[in-house]
Parts: sequence; C-alpha cells; structure tokens
Amino acid sequence: MKAQSRLDLPQGTLDLLILRVVALGPVHGYAIAQRIQAISKEALQVQQGSLYPALHRLENKKFLTAEWGPTETGREAKFYRLTNTGKAQLRSETESWSRLTEIVAMILQNPQGELS
Amino acid sequence: MNWLQRLFKSRRMEQELDAELRFHFESQVADKMRDGMSQAEARRLTRLEFGGIEQIKEQCRESRGTLWLASIAQDLRYGARILTRSPGFSATATLVLALGIGVNTLAFSLYNLIVLQMIPVRDPQSLVSFERRSPENITPAIPWDSIVYYRENTKSLSALMPTMDGAPMVLDHDEQRVKPSFVSANYFSELGATASAGRLFDSAREDSVGSDPVAVLSYSLWQRRYGADPSIVGKTIRLSGKPATVIGVTSQSFANLGTSEPDVWLPLMQHTYFVDGSKPFDDPKFDGMITVTARLAPGVTMPQAAQELLTLTNQLRKLHPTLIWDQEYIRVSPGAHFVQLDERAFPIFGLAGLLVLLILAVACANLGGLLMARGVSRQKEIQIRFSIGARRARIFRQLFTESLLLAFLGSITALPLSYIVLRLALNYSGAPRWMSAAPDGRVLVFTAAMGLVAALFFGLLPTLQIVKRSNGKKLAQRFVICAQVAASCVLIILAGLLVRATLHTIYSDPGFGYTQVYSVDSGMNEHGYTPAAARAYLDELERRLRALPGVTSVSMAFSPPLVNRGVMMTSIDVDGRSVTIYPNWVGPDFFETMGIPLLRGRYLNSADKNAVVLSESLAHKRWPHEDPIGKQWKDSKDIVVGVVGNTRAMEMNNTDATEIYYPATDKELPGMFVLIKTSGASDGLASSVKSIASSLDSRLFPTITPLKEGYRKSVGQVEQVAAVISLLGGIAVFLAVVGLLGLVSFAVSQRTREIAIRLALGAKHREIFSTILRRFTLEVLAGLVAGVGLTAALSQILRRVLFGISSLDPISYIGAIALLIVVLATAAMLPVRRALRIDIARTLHSE
Repeated sequence: MKAQSRLDLPQGTLDLLILRVVALGPVHGYAIAQRIQAISKEALQVQQGSLYPALHRLENKKFLTAEWGPTETGREAKFYRLTNTGKAQLRSETESWSRLTEIVAMILQNPQGELS
Repeated sequence: MNWLQRLFKSRRMEQELDAELRFHFESQVADKMRDGMSQAEARRLTRLEFGGIEQIKEQCRESRGTLWLASIAQDLRYGARILTRSPGFSATATLVLALGIGVNTLAFSLYNLIVLQMIPVRDPQSLVSFERRSPENITPAIPWDSIVYYRENTKSLSALMPTMDGAPMVLDHDEQRVKPSFVSANYFSELGATASAGRLFDSAREDSVGSDPVAVLSYSLWQRRYGADPSIVGKTIRLSGKPATVIGVTSQSFANLGTSEPDVWLPLMQHTYFVDGSKPFDDPKFDGMITVTARLAPGVTMPQAAQELLTLTNQLRKLHPTLIWDQEYIRVSPGAHFVQLDERAFPIFGLAGLLVLLILAVACANLGGLLMARGVSRQKEIQIRFSIGARRARIFRQLFTESLLLAFLGSITALPLSYIVLRLALNYSGAPRWMSAAPDGRVLVFTAAMGLVAALFFGLLPTLQIVKRSNGKKLAQRFVICAQVAASCVLIILAGLLVRATLHTIYSDPGFGYTQVYSVDSGMNEHGYTPAAARAYLDELERRLRALPGVTSVSMAFSPPLVNRGVMMTSIDVDGRSVTIYPNWVGPDFFETMGIPLLRGRYLNSADKNAVVLSESLAHKRWPHEDPIGKQWKDSKDIVVGVVGNTRAMEMNNTDATEIYYPATDKELPGMFVLIKTSGASDGLASSVKSIASSLDSRLFPTITPLKEGYRKSVGQVEQVAAVISLLGGIAVFLAVVGLLGLVSFAVSQRTREIAIRLALGAKHREIFSTILRRFTLEVLAGLVAGVGLTAALSQILRRVLFGISSLDPISYIGAIALLIVVLATAAMLPVRRALRIDIARTLHSE
C-alpha cells in the first residue's frame, strides 16, 4: 500500500519529526522511518537517503546521541536517544512550528487575501 | 569529539555507518518477507527503494562534517597515485611549473631583499631617515646647524646618527683607494654592532673635534689588506697623508646603513682633520652631504616625530633666517631598508613584474594544454566515476586537487632553483654580506601563493571542461595554444628589442672620443678651495700637463662624460612640453679634447661670459625652424653662439640626449674635473699627474680615471639588462616548445590508427604532416598576432631604454616571429615524424 500522494517535506521539518519520534525513547533508524510512516498513516515515506544524513547531522549537532544495542530480534542496531540540548531544541522547534503553521493558516484562510 | 579525533576514528565510523545501513536494509527485507514476498524478490525491491547506498553514505559523511578533511586526504592520495603512474608527464609538468614559479620567486626575492627586508641591525623598526624638503627642493643632505639643533631639542627621537660619505682616500702608499665613511660616535652602538677586533667608536671619546684621530676598519679590508692580523689594532695608518690610530675592526656580519660598503669608518667630528680645509660644521653652505638616520624614542610614531621636527625647524628659522628654506619640513621615512622605493621606480618594477608574470602565464597555458589533452584520455576513468554516482563537485575537487598537487611540487622545486640563481647573482654582484639568498617567510608565502594562482590558471579550465563533459574542449584547447604562443611572442620580441638596443649602444658612435681621454678629479672641493685658489691651481695644473709628452690637449668640465659623479638635469618647456637637458660647465678646449664636432657658429673660448653652446638635438627641439645662433637662451643674458654634435655622454643609450654647455664660472671652479687627451701610449700618465699634483698641493690626492673604464661600465649595465630579458625570452621559448611538443604528441597518439590506415592506403607523408599540423596553424597564427599587438602596446613603457631603436623595430619583430615559427614547427614536426615510422600492421591489429 503506497501513500496516495508523496509530500515533500519542507527543509528542516524532517529533523523536527525525527526529534519527536526519538523523544519517545531510544530507537534505531529503521524504526524511526517505520514510525513516521505509521503515525502519518502512510502519508509520509521517509527515504533512507534523507533519513540517515539527517540522523548524522543531528548527532553531529549533539541533539542526538547514539549507542549500539540489541533489537528485539537480537540483532545489533544503532539506537538514538535525545540529549538535553535535543530536548530543548525539540521544544523550541515545536513551538515555532505551531506558530508558523498558525500564521500560514491565518493568511491562507483570510478572505481578503484570496486570489481574484 | 573534535574533527581531528573523528578523522582518526574514521575507520570505525565507516564500519558503523555500513552496519547501520545494512541493518536497515536487512530489516526492510525481513518485513517484506513477512508480508509474503520471496527473499529474492524482497531483496530486489528493497535495493530499488534504497537507491545508491554509496550516495547515502557519502551524504552521511558530509553531514557529519568530517568529510572535507577525510576526503581531501583521500583526494591527495589518489592524486599522488595518478601522478606517479605517469612519471614523464609529472616530471615535465613540475619542471614547467618550477620554471614559471621560480622566475617569479626569484624576482620577488630580489625585491624582498632590496626593498622589503630590514637591514639586520638592532631594533630596525625604530630607525628613520630624514629628507629635507620644501615645495621647490628635495635633498637628503641636512645642514649641520639643523642637526645640532634637532639633537639638542628633540623629545621624539632617542638618537641622531649623522653620516657622510667621503671621496676615496689613499691608504698609506697603496695604489688602490679606500672608501671612507664619516659617522657619528654613537653610530656603532646605536646599530648594536660588535667589533671582531679592538673596539668601535665610543660616544664618550670620539664625539669632539679635537679628539685623537682614529679609524675603524671594515672586516673585508682587514682580511684583504692586513691578512686578518689582530695586531693592526693600535697601529697608526695614514689616510691621504693623515695619521690615524686603528682602534678596531667591524664584525663580518655588520650591516652598514644604506647601499655603500665603506672600507674604513672615521669619526664625523674629525672630518676637518682628515680632509684639510673642509668646513662641514661651520659653513652652512657646505657642499658635502651629511645625511641623518635617527632612532624614534619608545612609543613615538613617525608622524609624531615629523610634527616635532617641523616645530623645531620653524623655531630654527628665527635663529638662522638664511639657513631654512621657505616652508621647509623634514620628511621622515623608515630608515632600515636597503633601498627607499620612490615613485620613479614604479614603472620599472611594474615592467619587471609583468615580464615574470608573463613567464608564469606561458607555463600555465602550456600546462593547461597538457592537462586538457590528458583529460581526453582520462575520459573513461571520469565516466566510470560519474556512473557509480559521483557528483560533479566531487569530481571537480578531485581533479583540482591533482592540479594543486602539481602546483605544490612546482613551488617546492622552484625554491631551490631561485635560491641557486639568487646566490650566484649576489656573489657575482658583490652584494653586502648580510643579504642572504635563503628564502624568508615572505618569500615562502609568495611562492605558495604563486603556486595556488598557477593551479587556478592551469587547472581550472581543463578541469571544468572535463567535469562538464562538454564539447567546448576544442575551443578551450585552441585558446590555450593561442595564449601560450602570444605570451612567448611578447617575451621574445621584447628580448629582441633589448638586444638590438644593446648592440646599438655598443657599436654606434657615442658622439665623442673617449678612448684616449683621462679625467682627473682634483679633490679641491672637499678641501675647501676658494674659486680664486681653484683658478690658480687649475691654470697651473693645465699648463704643466700640456707640457707632458704625448698630451695633445687639456680641458676641464664640471660633469665629465662617463665618470660623472651623479648626473645633473634641468628642463625647459617648449610649447608646453618639457624637455630634459643635461647642463655642463666646460673649459675652452672641451670640444676639441672630447672630439665633439662643431656644426654651426663657434666653440666657447676663454673670454666668453654670457655664451652657451647647444647640442644639435636641443637646438632642434627649441628652435625647430630657425637658426639658433645669436638667439637668447631662455630669459637669461646667455646668447647661443654655437651648435655641436649630439653626444651620449650622460645617457649612454640615448642618441637624442639634449645638452647645453656653459662657460665655467667661479662657482663651478673648485668642482671642475680636468680632462686630458693623449696620443699613443699613456702608461706614465698617471704617475706624472700625481707628481705634478703633489708638487702643487700635497694635501690633494687626485683620482685619475680613463674614460674607457666608464664606458665599459655603462655598456655593461645595458648588457646585463638585455641578458636577463634574453634569458626570460629563452625560458619562454623553451616552455612554448614543451607545451606544443606535448600537444602535438598527444594529437598524434590519439590518431595513430588513423595514420596507420592512411599509410596503408598509400597516403604520402607530406599529406599526413599537413592534416595533423593544420589543426594547430590557426591557433599559432592567432597567438602570433595577439603577441605582436600586445608587445607593440607594452613596448611604449620600454621606450625610455630603447633609444636608437624604434619600439616597433621591424627587425626585432620579424626576427622574433621567425624564430618562434621555426622553433614551434620543429616542435610540432618531431612527434609526427615519429608517428610515421610506426609498424602499420601491428597498429591496425592492436584493437
């Protein structure tokens, strides 16, 4: 089952989603992709080509930290966890994201702004 | 974890990255299989979804930030492998670059030595030198009264070091004169100098007029004359007849201020003792040059010092109204450089810089051509790298790293090349000992920068071509050939022009006879002769000289040709254009003695007062259409009485120099040189002159110089410039040959099969020659045209040194072009000839 329309994520949004998913508890890359897909009801499909560079970028910025550990199937995988700066980042990003969407929605719904 | 640690841990990181992605891959496959897919199908699908795993890894590395360093190391390794794989190419490229960069490094090192570097003395930054200026006058000479006043009242300067160069002196009874320098007693201690034997001057002991006469020897005089015997300290020597005690010898590494290298230092305060009759301290109009180097007090800047000196100068005007000029001020400039660069030198330095940059341009153009040709043969390799997902930027960086590596090799090789040549040049020219050919930080940075610039020039275009995989390759290659031919053309034509100008200088008539003429500098001026005493002395000297056997005529001149002590110049305005004139004050028989022909009117005679004689060129410039005889010169009382032939006395390479001759007046008499013309051998002349002079006044030690010597010296200078430019031209030709040879070889190697087929089908050698070479003719021709145009424009700058030769001299241009065509044709022919000897059957079977 494929997502009916593949949405392009705006720059930086993927980072926010990853932070949100990782905030739930230590998780490996594959599971992050799966969860984003599941929570979005298949509307978002995260490509490996974007996911892993993003993970490494966040780790590099010290928002995430990683550890190798066994999965439920017993294989070794790299588990990501949120750091304290990561938590702070998630909070501020979430806040600015909701402000942004509110404002965008406000403008889009304003009848005066309608295209003639 | 910083980037350095990361770099070291990169291997582990690579493994982790690989494991992480593999885990993802396997999980995805497992999920698909759980949905009921076969393993093979699941793997295939996952691989499709994944896309290029290498690209993902590369992006991960990039987002970690370690990439740039790790991948640069990787690029360097790869580049080094590529270069070692084709050692012939690498060696040629390195040599070509080393020449191009080396010439620039050499030029910069010289500039660095004489202009940028500071003389190694104590605290050179705080040394400043004085120049006395007003809107009308500029002179480095400072009146003694000013010096004393400044020294007593200044707060911004911690020390003043007045110095004065003197005329060569006779040491004991030696034939060879020694060069003295009169310096203040604090000179050596201020410069932080140490003695290699005895002691140097001491402010407490040598700072008064009446102190015991002493001398400090230079290290080289001590070695040369006294065999480094330390017992010379304490002994008495005679300098131009005056006894003085040697108190010490400077150290070998002592750096004297300025460009002169004295043999002996004497206390300035004893000038009146050593030079009998001189009045440097009590005659404000004293003609000698006392120059001043000073040391800034701690924390004082040059503008502050200049400001204080201006205030002091204004106070001094009230005390000595006649001494100080209107609006006089002292210009303060850094004092510890070998040469103070002034504005007049800029065009020459600019031209020299341009020429050496041209060499680098030729080297770059030609290396660019080679790289471009190689790019074609590396097409396959590049293609593979694109296919496995390399991005353009990545490939570009890889190729450019190779260029940088070459540039680095070139710079490294350039350094010893430049060092060797500079060392030889310094030894040959007898430069001061402190000048070292070893590159300093500035030279190293410059060389590295030149390497980078070169890499940009030769590497960028071919690399872009390769990366873009465009078909503009041909055009760029054409441009490269064109550029290198043009640049070589410029250098060869300029070399030709300069060589021709040199030959012209050497083999054409200088406009006066010099082979049998001797000049005698009596030294009266230094010894404070009055005009009346000088007249009596000169009359008697001339009378006695005329009586000598073999002497055919005797005269005198203020500025004798070829042995001038510093050329005097003045100028007039003719119709708004300024004409530079060399003035001279001469005795009655001057023109006969010098063999300068009379063209109109008459020569000067001893009764002339307000008469002048012009050179033909000056007469023509001033009155192009009128007879100058009887005309008033400027707004003076002087009347033109004669016109004589042009001479190149003051400017050896200017056949058009303009001269004006005045009869000697009282003012010039003490400074007059005596000129003696002899017939036949003149072996005994020098000793006869000496004995006559010493019987007239035993204090004077006249200097006798054959004009021939001066002639050789001035011609030698012109020759040296021509030799250097010819060398640059030679390097340019060599580079152009290497470049074209490489390109044609490459073109041939690409078409070996074609040549073989043509040969098999019975094509004539000549046809094959022309098909291959035709590809290059257009570019070479375009290059030649551009080169000629560029040279014609550039040579305007050279006009000043190209007298006698037009800056568009056809022989130089045609000769240079012919030479270049012959050389390039030979370079192009060789690889084709080799190609024609191929084994047709083998070549055709080879693929």
